[in-house]
Amino acid sequence: MTFADVMTRIGIAAAMAVSGISHAYLYIHGYQHIPTIGAAFILQASVSFAVAVLILIGGPGWLRWAAAVVAGGALVAFVLSRTVGLFGFSERGWQPSPHAAVSVVAELLTVGLWVAYLVNRRRADARG
Amino acid sequence: MTDAPHTMSRRQLIRHSAWFGAAVGLAVVGGEVISHVAGTAEAARVQGRPTLRFAQVSDSHIGFSGKANPNVAGSFDQAIDRINSLGYVPDFVIHTGDLTHLSTPEQFDQVKQMLTGLRAPHVFTVPGEHDSVDDAGQKYRSAFGAGTRGDGWYSFDIAGVHVIALVNTLNLKKLGHLGVEQLEFVAKDVAALPDDTPIIVFSHIPLFAMYPDWGWATDDAAQTLSYLRRFSSVTCLNGHVHQVFSKTEGNVTFYSGTTTAYPLPRPGDGPAPKPVTLPAGKLHDALGIREVSYIRGQNALALKERTLQ
Amino acid sequence: MPERVVLLAAAVAVVVLAGCSSPPSGTSPSATLATVSGATPGMPGMSGMPSMPNAQAGTSASVTAPAAPVTGDAVSIDNFAFVPATLTVRVGSTVTWTNHDEEPHTIAASDGSFHSPGMGSQATYSHTFPTAGKFDYICSIHPFMHATVVVTQ
Repeated sequence: MTFADVMTRIGIAAAMAVSGISHAYLYIHGYQHIPTIGAAFILQASVSFAVAVLILIGGPGWLRWAAAVVAGGALVAFVLSRTVGLFGFSERGWQPSPHAAVSVVAELLTVGLWVAYLVNRRRADARG
Repeated sequence: MTDAPHTMSRRQLIRHSAWFGAAVGLAVVGGEVISHVAGTAEAARVQGRPTLRFAQVSDSHIGFSGKANPNVAGSFDQAIDRINSLGYVPDFVIHTGDLTHLSTPEQFDQVKQMLTGLRAPHVFTVPGEHDSVDDAGQKYRSAFGAGTRGDGWYSFDIAGVHVIALVNTLNLKKLGHLGVEQLEFVAKDVAALPDDTPIIVFSHIPLFAMYPDWGWATDDAAQTLSYLRRFSSVTCLNGHVHQVFSKTEGNVTFYSGTTTAYPLPRPGDGPAPKPVTLPAGKLHDALGIREVSYIRGQNALALKERTLQ
Repeated sequence: MPERVVLLAAAVAVVVLAGCSSPPSGTSPSATLATVSGATPGMPGMSGMPSMPNAQAGTSASVTAPAAPVTGDAVSIDNFAFVPATLTVRVGSTVTWTNHDEEPHTIAASDGSFHSPGMGSQATYSHTFPTAGKFDYICSIHPFMHATVVVTQ
């Protein structure tokens, strides 16, 4: 368990938690009333928190894949909502600010750290 | 953490399942916590009753007699009873059009009489295209036009909410149409309002493109909505399509309501929006009314669809 | 171990704080109505009055035009469509429309030169064309239904 490994774990967990908090906050403050999107928000938030906690306390590697999937999914949904719309829901620009921007940064960080984790593992394997 | 070999031992399978179970369990617990917090936050804001509560009823089509519903007056009566037994008196009731099926004087008399049975301080209406079949809305306006402008549009303020009622069922070319005079009315009407005034708009035909091939859109709605772009909470309620549907575009949310008469097909489900005859006993699941409540400080309105029982 | 607990506690605390952060509203709602135009739109409701059940269904109107001349050309309204979509007739001809749908329809010329009353099921409407030209028309109830009568010399 290297120092880099621990830092990556904390980083992914924190990023997932921030993304989850943003979605939970928006859910509590009005998004719960939006059809389908409301349900998706609470799902994203609860799964993000769960995965963040388990990664933090040292769960297996597939949890980071799960984190990347959830974060990647949230990013795709965000892009869809700004372009063609998602379940009849669409928004403009970076509204609601600053939560949208904060969440996107956190999700990009999650995906980035997952990639770093993969690269790290590959290097560790190559070293034997 | 070591790499697992490609085949997993039973111990590893149990281990991974345990983590998976923990993930699911934690997610459920997390969801419950968030949901509970959301509920108490809303209750704390409400402190007794919502800022505004009203009911929407639509497309009663009094005068229709077909297999899809041989007794539209009976189901409209049921809808009125449903509203009267909500457990509270709504601040107003809005009928979003197609009150009659053929705009005859008898049908207007009948529906107006039935509406007096609603226990609410105010009852508002907007006309549907069935209410102006042969007279550009004259009979509708004699029955329901008191206090309205132009072809029957108007606005009012209630509990700090600004409500605009629009007529988009006259001078139709293919879609709903508002017309220059009405657009000017909207522009002037909202000009002096602060951005945080919640706006509710009623119309018969959807103000968004739900299905233009069947006329389920309004050709000059974009201009109206541009006057409302700066407001933080805009909700548009319509009828016409006889089914519940919603769409959110930025700060504007559109909700189509269902009918009390007969269902219509989903967009594209068939050649035309013809009345759908459902199997016996299924009709009343497709008919209904809607409760809407607004809480000051929340941009999104809370809607509850109620079927006729 | 301690750092994990701290992080976990911090995450939970933030969620709870975010939920409780909004101040409670103390205003009692007032539902009085104010209008700009002066006159009050809408119907005053009857609070407290029992609902009056009316079990009688309304009658459906049907319009029958006077009997069309034998040489009149015909357009049929079937399944929310005008058949034929383009009808060509000579100046002075009379066209008769018949509604074969259950739903009511109308015949409304785009240039306003003719507008039928509401046509119920099996109702007919006739119009004579005195001048040549191309006359687009729609159903004013279902305006996605459109067709044309071409009147030649």
